[in-house]
Amino acid sequence: MPDILMTIRDLHVAYGKKPILRGAGFDLYKGECLTLLGANGSGKSTSLNAICGFVQPASGSVSLGDQELAGLAPHRIFQHGVAQVSQKRDLFPDLTVTDNLRLGAMRRGAKQAARTLDQVYARFPRLAERRRQATRTLSGGEQQMVAIGRALMSQPTLLLLDEPSGGLSPEFCEEIALLMDGLKADGVTMLMVEQNLKLAFRAADRFIVLRDGLVVDGGDVKAMEGDHDAIIKNIYL
Amino acid sequence: MMPTSAQLRFRTILFWLVPALMLAVPMVVNPYVLFIINGILIFVLITLGFNFVIGNLGQLAFANTAFFGIGAYSSAIATTSLGLPWIATIPLAGLAGALGGFLASAAALRGIRLYYLAIITLAFGELMRWIYVHAKSITGGTDGLSMPRETLLGFSLTDDRVKFYIFLVLTVVLVKATLNLLRSHIGRSIMAVRENEVATASLGIPTSRIIVIAFMWSGFVVGCAGSLFALHTAYVFPESFGMLQLIVSFAMVIVGGLGSVLGSILGAVVLTALPEYLRSFPGMEELFFGLIVIAVLLLLPQGLASLLRRLSPIFIERYYRE
Repeated sequence: MPDILMTIRDLHVAYGKKPILRGAGFDLYKGECLTLLGANGSGKSTSLNAICGFVQPASGSVSLGDQELAGLAPHRIFQHGVAQVSQKRDLFPDLTVTDNLRLGAMRRGAKQAARTLDQVYARFPRLAERRRQATRTLSGGEQQMVAIGRALMSQPTLLLLDEPSGGLSPEFCEEIALLMDGLKADGVTMLMVEQNLKLAFRAADRFIVLRDGLVVDGGDVKAMEGDHDAIIKNIYL
Repeated sequence: MMPTSAQLRFRTILFWLVPALMLAVPMVVNPYVLFIINGILIFVLITLGFNFVIGNLGQLAFANTAFFGIGAYSSAIATTSLGLPWIATIPLAGLAGALGGFLASAAALRGIRLYYLAIITLAFGELMRWIYVHAKSITGGTDGLSMPRETLLGFSLTDDRVKFYIFLVLTVVLVKATLNLLRSHIGRSIMAVRENEVATASLGIPTSRIIVIAFMWSGFVVGCAGSLFALHTAYVFPESFGMLQLIVSFAMVIVGGLGSVLGSILGAVVLTALPEYLRSFPGMEELFFGLIVIAVLLLLPQGLASLLRRLSPIFIERYYRE
């Protein structure tokens, strides 16, 4: 059994008076890719936002090793090695690819950042070709690569991916899946929210199903042996 | 097109050459023009500080006049009531302005943005004006405060030539400090907040702290300008820090170029000098002034600084590394 990287327990999050997470809890193992599944409003993205501090949990615990992250400001959580690639990608459209990537390593030394930049370009040769282009001129898939690359610039312990395939063509979804294979091979732990079940089951090691803010199902993707109908029923029916 | 390293060197030389040449100004212009130039230097600082918050940080905050008044009154009170020499009150005025910036940033930190932030900060300015009027024992009320006549190292501070050299040195120092701040890690974070606050926070940058720093620096620069203004007019009273002052400095930022240090300078120079020049056309000043401002904004929506950027890449302001 691999070591546990993050433990989430009894997480409660509400937007105003509307509860979204009602005691969700799960573990995340080092080096794995865990995908959160569930219908709209089940609390998938809220879970990611609560982990990285963009929404403050009303109660519950998010522990990264010995460090309690719940209640910390987003920049503090980032300093503990949790980087998020949001659904909107949140790029700086007028900045070049290189500048966007460098922003991911703003808190690190110039030498280290330059080394990581080379590594990111090695991982994304397509971005290396477009390094001086403003990101607004890139395709959706390339912008997604910049967003992921920028998160990798901080050399995160945990990478949070909110719908990495959102708005992308099937070819790009496959590229994203290959990229995630590469990240897993390099030992990067990932927590992903994904509506595209094909990508979710292609890239993830384990899955968790959220319903009404609670974990209602979960398991090993490989153990399903391609029979995903039961999960789909569990999510939507 | 980005400037070459030779062009960047030329830009550095130009930055120091302009103020060096300006040292000769008091010897070649008449006292009236020198008085106007002193006013321009003050407006350069006001616009610089204002632009820092609305242009570089991207927050629609209109507390600029409040910072200006706080600086001017701090200087006036410290000289008249505490007996401090005026020159010693400049940093005091800057710090008081920075404190004003800290207070104004509280609204932005609570997530108030755009028009709501504009109204709250406008109200802050009006509140300060109410204090100037009603705290009579300290501020002199509507009568205001007269600055005492002073000398500095044997030179009279009522002499516009002496004022010019002090104003010039302080303006150069604060412009340079602002440029350095913008090129620093903090400056890049400030501009990142402007572009996308959520993304900036997700990159490990403490956005709240960055917003406070930007407001405080703006308050410091404009507070210093207030101190210069107190000496320049020798008289501080509430009406100098009203809505008209705010509109004029806002126009300077927009006409010069939002988010541009060069634009702050150009906006202040052009919009202070232009009304003086238009005095040669009695009865038509407002018409010409309005038409010129509209024409500039229609032809150069990114302000006068964009014209210079088109002419030469040395005027491109890029605060991050290539």
